[in-house]
Amino acid sequence: MPLLNDEIRQEVSKILADLPGPVRLVMFTQEFECEYCTETRQLVEEIAELSDRITAEIYDFQADRAKAEELGIDKIPAIAIIGAQDYGVRFYGIPSGYEFASFLHAIQSVAAGKPELSDATLRVVAGIQKPVHIQVFVTPTCPYCPQAVMLAHQLAIASPLIRADMVEAMEFPHLAVKYQVMGVPRTVINETVHIEGAAPESHVVVKLQEALKA
Amino acid sequence: MLDFKLTAPSPEARPSEEVYDLIILGGGPAGLTAAIYAGRARIRTLMVVGPLLGGQPANTDLVENFPGFPEGIDGPDLARRFVAQAERFGVHLIHDTVTGVDLSVRPFVVRTDTAIYRAHTLIIAMGAVPRRLGVPGEGRFFGRGVSTCATCDGFFYRDKRVIVVGGGDSAVIEGLYLTRFAREVILVHRRDQLRATQIHQERAFANPKMRFVWNSVVEEILGEKTVTGVRVRNLKTGETSVIETDGVFIYIGMEPQTELFRGQLELDEHGYIVTDRRQRTSVPGVYAAGDIQDPLYRQLVVAAGTGAVAAMEVEKYLEMYPQNHYER
Repeated sequence: MPLLNDEIRQEVSKILADLPGPVRLVMFTQEFECEYCTETRQLVEEIAELSDRITAEIYDFQADRAKAEELGIDKIPAIAIIGAQDYGVRFYGIPSGYEFASFLHAIQSVAAGKPELSDATLRVVAGIQKPVHIQVFVTPTCPYCPQAVMLAHQLAIASPLIRADMVEAMEFPHLAVKYQVMGVPRTVINETVHIEGAAPESHVVVKLQEALKA
Repeated sequence: MLDFKLTAPSPEARPSEEVYDLIILGGGPAGLTAAIYAGRARIRTLMVVGPLLGGQPANTDLVENFPGFPEGIDGPDLARRFVAQAERFGVHLIHDTVTGVDLSVRPFVVRTDTAIYRAHTLIIAMGAVPRRLGVPGEGRFFGRGVSTCATCDGFFYRDKRVIVVGGGDSAVIEGLYLTRFAREVILVHRRDQLRATQIHQERAFANPKMRFVWNSVVEEILGEKTVTGVRVRNLKTGETSVIETDGVFIYIGMEPQTELFRGQLELDEHGYIVTDRRQRTSVPGVYAAGDIQDPLYRQLVVAAGTGAVAAMEVEKYLEMYPQNHYER
């Protein structure tokens, strides 16, 4: 039983037509699959069928420990979206609901390898000297969340020092507790700086600079 | 049940210095309908979407009063159909936040968070946003215990107690939605009866998880690091009391997003943009459609209708004043 119905498959095929470069969807699950690991794996495989520029690679989080460490994967289900290089674009938890749109957008952006950000943002990002880790907590029913996720992933594409995760809060409730997530989207930068809601690009950049000073 | 929504955007090109015939501000039903009409009229149109492509329907469970869908339609699905139809007719969508406009120059200038655009005409369709309470603690806890989106944040209140403020359809429907997660939902309403549609009231009164606090207003949201309670005042007795809670969901209506236009366009006393029957504003070439100019109905089908009118008026306006009119 496919996850994506015919109508969605057709639309996705259109959206993913003419990808400017190859994309690898590197997915981590385990032998005894976690909640939504099965569906996430299936989703990745179904998407890969819709474009000949997309390949699915399925790894076992336990057995392929070295691969997980190489890509900085620390929980499952996880998807690393990798293009000409690994830009640090990650999805933790299944990208369903509204996050499916973020997922498709990330595939397109990684294939292009060019961030869609303003010149002002790119200038700030070019000056970054320290690693930055952006985590965007979401729920799949949150229509405002993709905006925050997409922006974080664009920042990751713009800089080799930035990595950005979508974290589906319902699948990682312990992280929701740890980061005091009571509303989504909530963006956490380098464990120290928080943004509530889908903030405009310029505001996120200010917060990014704040996190770098901390 | 997993679903997969395609509502969101595809990557778009960086803005150019091009002057558009029309910029539509806002990507809800009014703006998208305007875009469909403008696209079919071959008007070069840019849409600055704002925070939520598809607008309020994208945040609505089920739409039962839009003609053509006898069984009702899933709000996000309807929103997606609007977007697909607008894109089919060639509208260029930009996902950005409008930060300012200059209506005193021609072509008009629209500043967004990351770029500046110019156009000969504008349709303002930025809708309305949830009204806030304006009480102490609300701002501090917004997104951290205070919310206006139950479908977004309901999950975080599993087995907790939440307060819903309001008494209309949204308050009751979202309150009922929250009973899926919360152990108790207390609805605080300033009157002694609900304003919501009868069928929703019946469902609410029948739900064992729902409780009602009548004739009361929230005066403060309390807590140190997280929300722990609200202080309410009974309007009949004047007494204040504290209700312990883990979260507060506010559904006290919507208000138009018109701060950007204050001083440049005529607004009414509640902040709505004043329009005439042709959706014209006080500045020629600037039109408004949808909830931002509608204090009375605020219905999807009305918003769509005013969007269509605005686009047809733009077409006439552009015919009257050819594009090079301003370049002379």
